[in-house]
Amino acid sequence: MSFRLRLAVFLVASLAILQSVTAVLVYEVTRRQVVAEGKRQLAIAGTTFARQLDDVSAHVSDNVQVLTLDFALRSAIAQRDRDTVRSALRNHGRRIGAARMLLVGLDGTIDADTQDASPAQRKFPFADLVEGALEKPSAALVAWDDQVFWIVVVPVNAPALIGLIAASIPVDEAFLKREQEQSALPKTTELAVQNSNSAWMVVARADGGNGLADHLLGEGSKRSDKPALIEVAGREYVALATPLRTSRQSVPIVAVLGYSLDAALQPYRSVALTWAVLLAFGLVAGLLGSLLIARGVSKPIEALAATARRIASGDYRPAEPIAQAGEVGELAAALTNMAEAISEREEHIRFQSAHDDATGLMTRIAAETAIQQMIDADGDADGSLLMVALARLPEITKTLGHAISDRLMRDAAARIRGPAGSALVARASDSEFLVWRSQAGQGDAIALAFRLLDVLGEPYREADLAIDVAPAVGIALHPLHGKRASALLQRAEVALFAALGADEPVAVYDPGADPHRPERLSLMSELREAIDRRQLQMHYQPKLNLATGAIDGVEGLVRWQHPKLGLIGPDMFVPLAEETGNIRRLTRWVLATCIAQAREWDLRNRRFRFAINLSARDLDDPDLPHRVGELLAIHAVTPRQILLEITESAVMGKPDAAIRVLRQLADLGIDLAIDDFGVGQSSFAYLRRLPVRELKIDKSFLLRLAMGAEDRTIVRSIVELGHRLGYRVTAEGVTDQTSLDYLGEIGCDHAQGFFISRALPPDAFDVFLASSSWHRDLLT
Amino acid sequence: MRWFQFAMATVYICASSAPAGAAGLGVRISDTRGNAVADAVITVVAQAGGSVPPAPPPATRVIDQKNETFIPYIEVFRPGDKVVFHNSDDTRHHAYSFAPARQFEFVLVPGESSTPLQLDKLGVIAVGCNIHDQMITYLYVTDAPHVAHSGSDGIAQLSNLAKGEYEVHVWHPQLRPGATVDLQRLTISDTTELKDLTFTVSLLPDPRLPLDRERAGY
Repeated sequence: MSFRLRLAVFLVASLAILQSVTAVLVYEVTRRQVVAEGKRQLAIAGTTFARQLDDVSAHVSDNVQVLTLDFALRSAIAQRDRDTVRSALRNHGRRIGAARMLLVGLDGTIDADTQDASPAQRKFPFADLVEGALEKPSAALVAWDDQVFWIVVVPVNAPALIGLIAASIPVDEAFLKREQEQSALPKTTELAVQNSNSAWMVVARADGGNGLADHLLGEGSKRSDKPALIEVAGREYVALATPLRTSRQSVPIVAVLGYSLDAALQPYRSVALTWAVLLAFGLVAGLLGSLLIARGVSKPIEALAATARRIASGDYRPAEPIAQAGEVGELAAALTNMAEAISEREEHIRFQSAHDDATGLMTRIAAETAIQQMIDADGDADGSLLMVALARLPEITKTLGHAISDRLMRDAAARIRGPAGSALVARASDSEFLVWRSQAGQGDAIALAFRLLDVLGEPYREADLAIDVAPAVGIALHPLHGKRASALLQRAEVALFAALGADEPVAVYDPGADPHRPERLSLMSELREAIDRRQLQMHYQPKLNLATGAIDGVEGLVRWQHPKLGLIGPDMFVPLAEETGNIRRLTRWVLATCIAQAREWDLRNRRFRFAINLSARDLDDPDLPHRVGELLAIHAVTPRQILLEITESAVMGKPDAAIRVLRQLADLGIDLAIDDFGVGQSSFAYLRRLPVRELKIDKSFLLRLAMGAEDRTIVRSIVELGHRLGYRVTAEGVTDQTSLDYLGEIGCDHAQGFFISRALPPDAFDVFLASSSWHRDLLT
Repeated sequence: MRWFQFAMATVYICASSAPAGAAGLGVRISDTRGNAVADAVITVVAQAGGSVPPAPPPATRVIDQKNETFIPYIEVFRPGDKVVFHNSDDTRHHAYSFAPARQFEFVLVPGESSTPLQLDKLGVIAVGCNIHDQMITYLYVTDAPHVAHSGSDGIAQLSNLAKGEYEVHVWHPQLRPGATVDLQRLTISDTTELKDLTFTVSLLPDPRLPLDRERAGY
């Protein structure tokens, strides 16, 4: 049910119910009032009727008394002139409205009767009236020959009492009507007499009569002297049966007085009709009014609902203005405000999602979409994507916090915008921006890259800080390096990495040098199989003991004999294994293979200390010490034969769990070596906390050992300091005799490198050992 | 009982005042409520052995009309007596009678007296005035040897009753129709005897009273 209909129904129903209840109440109250009034009137009417008869009586007896004083009549009576008496009585009877006049003797016999010429000594039937009339005029109602009469008996004195005159006045319908006209006698009046069978007979009725007497006096009905409410022929009356005073010789006479409720309520009928018309009018008006009001409410609400649906679908145009004050108007205004607020917020969110907070530049995702759109628009036209990195930013963030790095990036973005001009500038990552310039070939791109390096080369200054951000730029060209924005981004990233490692920090993407070519992905998936399919093999590079001139150690280096790509070095696939989570499998395989090899050589009486490389990720594996211990036990290899190498960066800043792994390994009796020592940020102070037994000087120092005095000093310092701190020192990457000599000279413990031997498979290693005592000659 | 004491006192008085050698009768008349009744006529008729005194000579009695009243209310006549009506008022009076014993009708101007009317028949003649309805008087014509009427004290005295048997009758103008007063028998055995009789009568109201009331109202 719609709101409109419900409101209308509610209003109309409540109006109708209210009116009906009121009507019923009013009707009941009125009816009770009318009944009470009827009872009161009847009670009065009962006594009034008797009094009226008395009045009639007084009037008639006065008239009859005057008659009795007529000398001629007295004379006639005294002289028993019966005919004269009759005619005189008849004459006077007419005057006073009596139906019958009688002369009654003092002995109660009828001497003359206007209705009977020869009464023949009949007795007058109502002796009590005669008796009473001897003293003064008497009167009473009587039932006589099935009629009711009011009989007045008056004495005749001539001058002594000689007789009585009885005047009989019919109390009939005409009489009752006359009385009704003159008094408050009720409309419905009936006279009933009781006949010899005790049954009541109505002898006179005014107003046509309606059987009230029959109902009230009928058999089984209870006589009451109080007004009662009865229903006769579907009509209601307040009725009262009043016994009337009669002659003792008469049968009882009852006056039945009725007060018609219908008649009494008649005046209220027109009121009721008017009320009904008013109610009908009110209902119609209420219905129309409520429909109008409901329409006035529901229409704007429907409009608002439509607006709300529109807003939900993303259309934020303001709602139709509603010219209505009050709640609906407020709702409309609120809806409009809401739409605006949502629109603003959505705009804001969209901007935020597409833009970087710190710099206000587009995000990479948004930029990628935008670039793709430009590419699509320009077709095959040239375009350049420059990826600009601030290489030192991660370090700055760690050192100085995000607030400064954010400000720095904002400043960098501002600087980039200058040279970039109309080009699209976006933030590609935490430390990188990207610049897309349409219609720009390689030359333009490189020129732009250098201008960017110029503006970014100036240190960022804040307070007393001057920060060098170490910018670098990688460039990818459209359509040369890719036609999709995503591909160009990736290539530019690759180029950027190349640039980061170069002297001149600008690089254009070189497909050939890209280690992140798509085929790498397949390499990753193939690595797992490689382990299972024994495509991996261990090569061993000998370590020369400079003090003894003996080969007493080897470093195990893993190789991947790829069926299509040939031999792949660990530099290629170890990072892959680290990224794909295969490093632990790889390490386990390497450990197992090396320890098995150590055992095999042991059995042939060739005892070497095996140096095995661990990845930083291996230190996250708390099972590693246990596993190594198991392998040693299985192959009956002493822990001292194992030297585990980890890089400086692998142990720097490691959590305690990793340090614990190292200590457990050391506790097994396994020595630990720091690989590539000298290029990282490790300090001796830090290393002292670790169970390290050996340092391996990074090969970059050895490459130029022969020529540079500086590197010699470094190597010598490391060796000296290492020895003082109790570390063994190994130099790797030894490529010439001079270096070897120098190392021996400064007391370095071991040397390793191509000059001694490259890494060899076990078979070749056997040959190498067998063929040589030559290595002793190397030591001079 | 009080009435009895009163009656005894009356008897005593009667006895002391009665002449010696003649028997007397005191009759007490009262109504049904015990009130003394005036104007009752008591006739004593001798039966066997009763004495009959000699009849008195004929007399003429006057009925005066004064203050619209016949005075007296009752007058006893013997047959042959005459009655004269005199008008002492300033108004006319129209005396009439429809009585079978004597019917007449005449108008008396103020101060006038009627011619004497001889009353020969026995009976009661009610006389009224056609002008003044309340006026009424009764002429009681009787040949009874002993007649008396009660005074305002309701007592009538009869004397000179010889030895013998008597019937005592009572009549009153207001006697209720149909109500009879039984006669009482009286035996006088001693001439000095004093007898007492009591009658109770049922009366209608005095027809003269309404006028009096009316007058009192003027």
